[in-house]
Amino acid sequence: MKHRHQLGLTIGPVLVAIIMSCLLLIYPYKAGSYSASGLEKASLSQSNNVLKGQAIKTAALKNGYVPFFGSSELSRLDMTHPSVVAKKYHWSKRPFLLGKAGTQSLTHYFAMQDMTSQLKNKKAVVVVSPQWFTKKGQIPAAFSAYYSPLATAQWLLKAKNTQADQYAAKRLLKMNAFHRTSMMGKATLRIANGEQLSANQRRYLQLRLKVLHGEDHFFSAFIVKNKMRRLNNGTKKLPQSYSFTKINRLAGAMGKRNTNSNQLQIENNLYRKKLRGKIKTLKNCQVNLDYRQSPEYSDFELMLNQFKQTNTDVLFIIPPVNAKWAKYTGLSQQMLMSTSHKIKQQLNSQGFNNVLDLTQDGNINYFMQDSIHLGWRGWLAVDQAAQPFIAKRQRTPHYQINRYYFSKNWQEKIVK
Amino acid sequence: MINLQPYTNPAYFILLIGTLLPAMIGLYFGKRLKVYEAIWTFSFLLITFGGIKWHQGIALAAYIIFQQLLVQIYKAYRKRHNSTAMFLSMIILSIFPLVIVKLAPIFPSSQLSLFGFLGISYLTFKTVQVLMELRDGTIKEIRVRDFVRFLLFFPTVSSGPIDRFKRFQADEQQVLSRDAYLVMVDRGVQYIFKGFVYKFILGYFFGTWLLPRIAHVALLERHAFFGTGLSLHLVEYMYVYSMYLFFDFAGYSLFAIGISYFLGIKTPENFNAPFRSHNIKDFWNRWHMSLSFWFRDFVFMRVTFFIMKKRLIKNRIRVSQVAYLLNFLIMGFWHGVTWYYIVYGLFHATAIIINDYWLRYKKAHPNLIKHNMFTEGIAIFLTFNTVCFSFLIFSGFLNTLWFK
Repeated sequence: MKHRHQLGLTIGPVLVAIIMSCLLLIYPYKAGSYSASGLEKASLSQSNNVLKGQAIKTAALKNGYVPFFGSSELSRLDMTHPSVVAKKYHWSKRPFLLGKAGTQSLTHYFAMQDMTSQLKNKKAVVVVSPQWFTKKGQIPAAFSAYYSPLATAQWLLKAKNTQADQYAAKRLLKMNAFHRTSMMGKATLRIANGEQLSANQRRYLQLRLKVLHGEDHFFSAFIVKNKMRRLNNGTKKLPQSYSFTKINRLAGAMGKRNTNSNQLQIENNLYRKKLRGKIKTLKNCQVNLDYRQSPEYSDFELMLNQFKQTNTDVLFIIPPVNAKWAKYTGLSQQMLMSTSHKIKQQLNSQGFNNVLDLTQDGNINYFMQDSIHLGWRGWLAVDQAAQPFIAKRQRTPHYQINRYYFSKNWQEKIVK
Repeated sequence: MINLQPYTNPAYFILLIGTLLPAMIGLYFGKRLKVYEAIWTFSFLLITFGGIKWHQGIALAAYIIFQQLLVQIYKAYRKRHNSTAMFLSMIILSIFPLVIVKLAPIFPSSQLSLFGFLGISYLTFKTVQVLMELRDGTIKEIRVRDFVRFLLFFPTVSSGPIDRFKRFQADEQQVLSRDAYLVMVDRGVQYIFKGFVYKFILGYFFGTWLLPRIAHVALLERHAFFGTGLSLHLVEYMYVYSMYLFFDFAGYSLFAIGISYFLGIKTPENFNAPFRSHNIKDFWNRWHMSLSFWFRDFVFMRVTFFIMKKRLIKNRIRVSQVAYLLNFLIMGFWHGVTWYYIVYGLFHATAIIINDYWLRYKKAHPNLIKHNMFTEGIAIFLTFNTVCFSFLIFSGFLNTLWFK
């Protein structure tokens, strides 16, 4: 009897701990229990747990936010940044920023998988950086950093034997975000080979999904980066009512003030920290950069394919490169032009006609904040297109997906 | 084949403890299931050193055979003779593989790193200790299987704590009463759960969450303070890294000790509230104890005796100073042949020598400072900051900041 008592005292607490952790993770949380200010904070945060998770982003999209897919430029919260302008002038829906440095088409495609019902018959904005379209395309390490088991499990459970899904599975395997011999790896391998998941794999993924959902709800409640101060600072600088001319003038003045340390119109802090010491060595360092041939074009097609499936009305924005910077580093404007032509051809030929191509605006003063990131006037140009796009009535887009864009031929093709 | 690294996630614990249950039930009924434990150990070694790490597995097997030969040959030899030359050659041979592996990063093109495997240091510490005790005569008999079991005791194989053969063997042979075993399991559970808090919550918070962010901003300020990179963020990095280092390693040690207890082995403690030390000497009695005690017994003491016996240095204070210097220099080299590990070793040697001066001075002037809570607080504060600074050196972050 005494031993049993002792054994119970030893094992009892362990069992209680295990049961409580299981309950915590499997407990069916009610969605949408976020405060308005919590969602606002999340919309700016670009935190990993927001992008990888499901709970916050779906709650936000249901409550007055439009997804803005992009990469590092989104974090430039200047006065004219859409998040700031939308708050100040009470847009009908406000941007929910998804992505940061290193997120490209493939990351976005998978991140969309746990929010498809929020994309269905809704709008979205995509900032397509030419810098995504490098020779190697998506770098596996960057993909792994944003890899979401939650979204991937959801994708696997609904993947079919289609070219898009097979292509996505093959790309996913190339990214080495998980081991090929893991359950996730084996399931992905099946999709890549055009097979169905086994019953065991389904059961595993469903269970895993339950746990991941629990984790997501649990952890999304905190660890969100707070950028509210920067947002409110921005709104204070804007005039009471929206006026392009006024804001354009303000943006110019602010750009001038913030880039006066160098000839290249690069924001002072960044110039001082990252460039000043080695600016000489950067002369003509980008002569050989080429964005015209890249596997990214087919990854990008995955995003388009998703928009087709969810009937999402999308505004695409192609940002330019700072012309002064391009000239100094020897980056070819012609190459940039044909890159944007290629992206636009892929878009237009499939019915994605809502494209704001800013490629030629890199020489407008203070358009860019630094080398490749939209700045004061650049964001204003985005606002000018995004505001009416978000305000107007939802239309039903007519997209025709062409399998050709998944092919090597297209990836390697040079469009003049 | 699958490959799992020790104590990295909850699934590993489920697998580890789940498969350990038969052995634990055996111990509960007063029987050690030696065959089962051997199979269990072998399987986990296979999982740890197999799959993509198969070359480590081969290196480990070769290493074990080699060390076993050394120990058995020396044991047989020691029964009749006792020459210092033979003893020294055995020690040199025994640490040879470790030296090669530690030198490998300096010759990157060579294939030296192929000799390495996870935990080679800790196995070398154990072997050297056995050889030394054979020489001393405190170990007389060591059977092949006992040595292998001691060396490859799975809970501690990858990173210690470093046990002593005689102690381990006594635990292993002892038949535990049910009461005693239940107390051990209870302690083991406590160790493991404390380890969860240390490694997976605090270690994760400091190391995985906070540290990269602070490293990033600290690196952005590499031109600060006349180009030295000294900034407030660097100070922040120093403290956060120190916390990470402690909670990560202490958490790991707690896992290893906890699992050992489940197997009825009282693996020694590795940490005893090190940040509460009131001087550097005290610190080394509380930080990575199994390593510092190993160094104390097998480097510091041996060097001291050697110098005294040969009368190389007359002054007793000098003797201990030289011994400290050698002791910490060797420890520095053991961590790795980089400037920052070696400077870390020298820093601690210097700190402990200064500490000795101070202690002697205080002893000579007993009325100088009254011991009270306030002076104790100052002592702890000074020691803590000295230690954190040494960890900043140890982290290698200064190397990145200045030279990369």
